Amino acid sequence: MTALIELSNVDKTYNQGQVNEVRALKGINLEIAAGSMVCLQGSSGSGKSTLLAIIGCVFPPTSGRAAIAGKQLSRLPDRFLTLHRRASIGFIFQRFNLLPELTVQDNITLPLMPLGVGPRERRERAARLMERLGIGHRAGFPARQISGGELQRVAIARALINDPPIILADEPTAHLDHALSLAFMEIMGELHRDGKTIILTSHDQLITGHPAVERLIGLNDGMLHVP
Amino acid sequence: MNGLSRQLNVIDYSLSSLWRRRFKSVSVMVVFAAVIFLLASFQMTTKALTQTASRLLVMAPEITIQKMRAGRQEPIPVAYREKLAGIFGIRRITPRVWGYYFNETHAANLTVIGVDPRLMPLGEKLAAAIDTGRLPGDHEVVLGQGAEELLGENRMISLFRPDLSLKPLTVVGRFRPATDLLTYDTLFLPPDDARDLFSLPPELATDLCVTVANPSEVDTIAKKIAALLPGTRVLTRSQIEKTYHAVFGWRSGFASVCLLTALTSFIIFAWDKASGLTPEERREIGILKIVGWQTADVILLRFWEGVIVALLSFVAGYTLAYIHVAFFDAGLFRPIMLGWSVLHPRLRLSPGVEVGDVLLVLCLTVVPYLAATVVPAWRAAIIRADSALN
Repeated sequence: MTALIELSNVDKTYNQGQVNEVRALKGINLEIAAGSMVCLQGSSGSGKSTLLAIIGCVFPPTSGRAAIAGKQLSRLPDRFLTLHRRASIGFIFQRFNLLPELTVQDNITLPLMPLGVGPRERRERAARLMERLGIGHRAGFPARQISGGELQRVAIARALINDPPIILADEPTAHLDHALSLAFMEIMGELHRDGKTIILTSHDQLITGHPAVERLIGLNDGMLHVP
Repeated sequence: MNGLSRQLNVIDYSLSSLWRRRFKSVSVMVVFAAVIFLLASFQMTTKALTQTASRLLVMAPEITIQKMRAGRQEPIPVAYREKLAGIFGIRRITPRVWGYYFNETHAANLTVIGVDPRLMPLGEKLAAAIDTGRLPGDHEVVLGQGAEELLGENRMISLFRPDLSLKPLTVVGRFRPATDLLTYDTLFLPPDDARDLFSLPPELATDLCVTVANPSEVDTIAKKIAALLPGTRVLTRSQIEKTYHAVFGWRSGFASVCLLTALTSFIIFAWDKASGLTPEERREIGILKIVGWQTADVILLRFWEGVIVALLSFVAGYTLAYIHVAFFDAGLFRPIMLGWSVLHPRLRLSPGVEVGDVLLVLCLTVVPYLAATVVPAWRAAIIRADSALN
């Protein structure tokens, strides 16, 4: 399999040169194949979320080389990182990061608005995803009025609305009970079978031990290790 | 097409965003609309007053001659008419007697005008200015609306001469409310009765009204009169009109300066509101950016929010100003614009709205508001996408 994500000697330092400088990642070398399902594992503060943010084009590394789908992202300005992120990445967050006052449908279609996708197409694309994820009956509900499990599925739908090849999920089951976590992994498994590249961060046994996860990558104090 | 769809999507989101923060949006809009209301009201009132004055001054004499001594006006000899007989182009010279009558009961000054309307230019228009009744004959009077309210709706009124003897007059008419700007406090009567009231000898008048044959020669004739009659002040109708415009313009300008202070305060308020992002707003922008909105998209969003707030406020403020001037006769600003007096004209104002006037208020209010929100919008837009990460 060809590598979809290639990181070479990646460092990330926050507040560089200041008294509160933090080296979150140190010399990361990593390749992730297209269509694989990977879990980044490590304790809190180990650098999992930072690594996910670099893969997700949220910010560039401080040094080193990061290439996603053949594109060298290390030195791209923010504008191009955003363009690449919206074309290739779908994000699922630990706390869902939905806008509570917006309806379920409006939350899901948020990534389509700056692309100039018309309201009818937005509705249709959202409807298909909501149907698939079993939240079609909640389309007009404000996000603040639905349950945690439904919120998670709304977040998944929003991540999939652009049909990105890569899905990133940061501690996706941290606020879900066992049943909902299992359901989430079922959906991830389906997406994996559909050919998506899925990268999760977690220290939840349910995820790290899930049969759909093909590879575990350990992180400790900003460095990779074999778990 | 894609660009247009993007704009429409962002406008759609701006509307929903303003609705979600409706308390903040409405509070800004109310203050902004109030500032626009004040500014537009002054502009419309000034315009309506100057237009009303211009319309009514058509009835004023083309040239008025007043005798001056030590910088003060004094009665003019009627015999001056003979001195002007040689000026070609003068059609008629009519003596006019006028002055102020102090009504002690109400501590108010009434304007007494004694003139023979048959000898005045557009005398028939003067008759048309009378709402009920007719032009006055001997010992008769026509009252302005305010004078009638003050003196009561009696058929007979009695006024004091300087020697405190009473002069009875029969009320035969009342001026139309539309002419209130000029006639509100007026007692209109024949010149001989006015002379009698003021104890003015028959050979004197307050001023002389000159009618000319060719209106385009007014200025030339006025110069000739001034040359022939040193010690007089020669006023043309256009000069009187300019004075009205200057007075209203000055008052409006003064008020506008005060209002600009209010506008500046509002702009600072708008800046403050736009700059002070709540944690929820910061989080929202972080989420938008992480799901693919660019800095330019967020600036566009904030821009459209500003445009929507500004335009809604503008429409509301301007419409309220129109209603205030057209239907309530600019009640809030009447004292400022017309001066404080006991008898206040209750003229009907009809605000004429022209594109230029609307654009002026738009430039004075909406443009500074949008300018004031640009920098805060940019500061909001550069919030990093990772602020939405856990």
